Amino acid sequence: MYGKKGSELVKELASSEPGQLSAFNNDLFAQVIDECTGHLHHLGSLIRKIEELKKIEEIKKLNNQELEESEKQLLKAHNSGALIHHLSLLRNKRCLMAYVYNRAETIRSLGWAVERVLPEEIEEKLSGSEKEYFKNHAASLQSYMSELDLDLAVDMVPPKDPYIKVRVLEDIGNVLLSDQSANLARHAILFLRRTDAEQYISQAIFTLMLW
Amino acid sequence: MASQADAHAATFSAAELEFLAEDELIEIVPNMRMDPLNLICGDFGPFRPQIATQVPVWLAVALKRRGKCTIRPPDWMSVEKLTQVLEAERDAEKFQPLPFHYVEISRLLFDHARDDIPDIYMVRSLIEDIKDVRFHKIGTGLEIISRERTYALRLKNLSAMEANIVRPFVTRALQTFYKLNSPDMIQESDSVSNRQPQTANRGPRRQLKDR
Amino acid sequence: METGAQDGSSGYSTMDDYESLISTTDAELLKRAWQNEKAAPQILRFEAALIQRSREQIKLMEETVGEFTRNGIDPLTVSLYQMDLDRTVFLLRSYLRTRLQKIEKYVFHIQKTAELWNRLSRQEKRFAERCIEDMEKHLDQSVLSKLPSSYKSHLKQSSSSEEDDMVPEPRLDTYVICRSKRFLGAFQLDDRQFPVNIEADDLYALPYKSIKPLVETGQIDLV
Repeated sequence: MYGKKGSELVKELASSEPGQLSAFNNDLFAQVIDECTGHLHHLGSLIRKIEELKKIEEIKKLNNQELEESEKQLLKAHNSGALIHHLSLLRNKRCLMAYVYNRAETIRSLGWAVERVLPEEIEEKLSGSEKEYFKNHAASLQSYMSELDLDLAVDMVPPKDPYIKVRVLEDIGNVLLSDQSANLARHAILFLRRTDAEQYISQAIFTLMLW
Repeated sequence: MASQADAHAATFSAAELEFLAEDELIEIVPNMRMDPLNLICGDFGPFRPQIATQVPVWLAVALKRRGKCTIRPPDWMSVEKLTQVLEAERDAEKFQPLPFHYVEISRLLFDHARDDIPDIYMVRSLIEDIKDVRFHKIGTGLEIISRERTYALRLKNLSAMEANIVRPFVTRALQTFYKLNSPDMIQESDSVSNRQPQTANRGPRRQLKDR
Repeated sequence: METGAQDGSSGYSTMDDYESLISTTDAELLKRAWQNEKAAPQILRFEAALIQRSREQIKLMEETVGEFTRNGIDPLTVSLYQMDLDRTVFLLRSYLRTRLQKIEKYVFHIQKTAELWNRLSRQEKRFAERCIEDMEKHLDQSVLSKLPSSYKSHLKQSSSSEEDDMVPEPRLDTYVICRSKRFLGAFQLDDRQFPVNIEADDLYALPYKSIKPLVETGQIDLV
């Protein structure tokens, strides 16, 4: 049935989780493209036949004659046939475009999450053109952000209090942190930026206090 | 970013709603001295021990976490007020007035200022009950103000969180009515400002239960 | 930051009364702009003046926080200023990001609709142009180059289409939830319709296209 493969392509899109990509369906995609080429051949030969009949019709008109009933029927059939192939081609085109366009949207949203380089397990799901598109789009985004001098790939969720409460376990003395100098004396309780505190927590110099 | 595909179903994430709620003002009683803060979001303070002052919820929580103040729960969070609201909420079809961000604010205070809320267990369970009752009457308590050609719905006294929860199905249901412009629905209509929610909301209600 | 929008002013200056203009902080305006942009199906006018002021405030505040740190102002105060700064920067980034995502998604539609194109900032226009290039190339390589010649357009289904019939565009009949800051009185939803009353501070679910002008002039906010 015409257009069935195209609709399978779109169904594949519809059934995947939003924001998730399945592997680019090369086989099915190529089959739909082939179907398009097939439609074009049929369309071409039908149009030639229609034109021939039209020519005959014109010649007959000059002689005050009409097309034979069978010829009329044939012309009608060819016209309908051509229309079917044209519409099937349009439908397949829409399916192909929807497939590529919607995947591109997911690829862009991945770009926000991963910053410029896709993890391998995602990259291998992309077609060649999609890989190129991802790179080009990341570069376009980058150029917008540098023009603005503002990184938009951070702060994806609303900020929370960036400071955490820690208890110092060892005497370290004064250290310079990103926004303050702190005296790390044993048993002291401090409020520090999470990013500053993390290295000390991993070295067991601080312990995190939840309340 | 997954929400991008369905942008209008989930316009704001829970974290974003909480972020918005954190700008609401609340009263604190500092236990320290601090000069006024001239923030981008406004000027607050000065802070003097035992002198109550109004600050945004995020600031109140930050000070509370650092042990610098107590938070005065808002009036509506008292057992007495909440009991009244719950009763009225059960009796009436309409939604009772509550702060737009009552869900988020109460949760923030439960998380960070437990010791400042008298009868916290009672308060918490009253708010849970109110949330439940309100949620169950979303199908009946909303008022259809126009059902001619374009359906319009008035969501009187609905809170931010509730509006966000009903958004996907209210908008989808209304859109469907709008599209169908079903003669059925129009015949039922007796006035533009229909104050009989049972009739007015037959459609959306069914939608709600089907979910 | 410069703008491409002709009038370049914030949407609130046109309609809002003086009183609410002076009593509303930029932080509040930025938050509203962010909410509206997130909830509107269509791209709204770039709030050029507001964004410029916000960026200046952010820069100033960053300098202040740096100074505080150097001058040994107590860490508590510094951390509170930092949190305020973080909140504003988040709003700014999320606002700009929301717009970029709409531009990416509807770039062909925006390109061919002058009204929408003029809503973009100078930098957004440049970004949109690159998006168009990237997308056209990708569509061409993946699909269009493999189709017969009269089916190669990314805007039209085929050369027999009279107008662009294949450009994704936002649905303006999407319902939005909105709230007016003040009583708007009887409001006409569409041409064949009884007016409905829009009261101050109440929430309404209405089709975006019926309140589009009110959103664009800042009389009603999306939530």
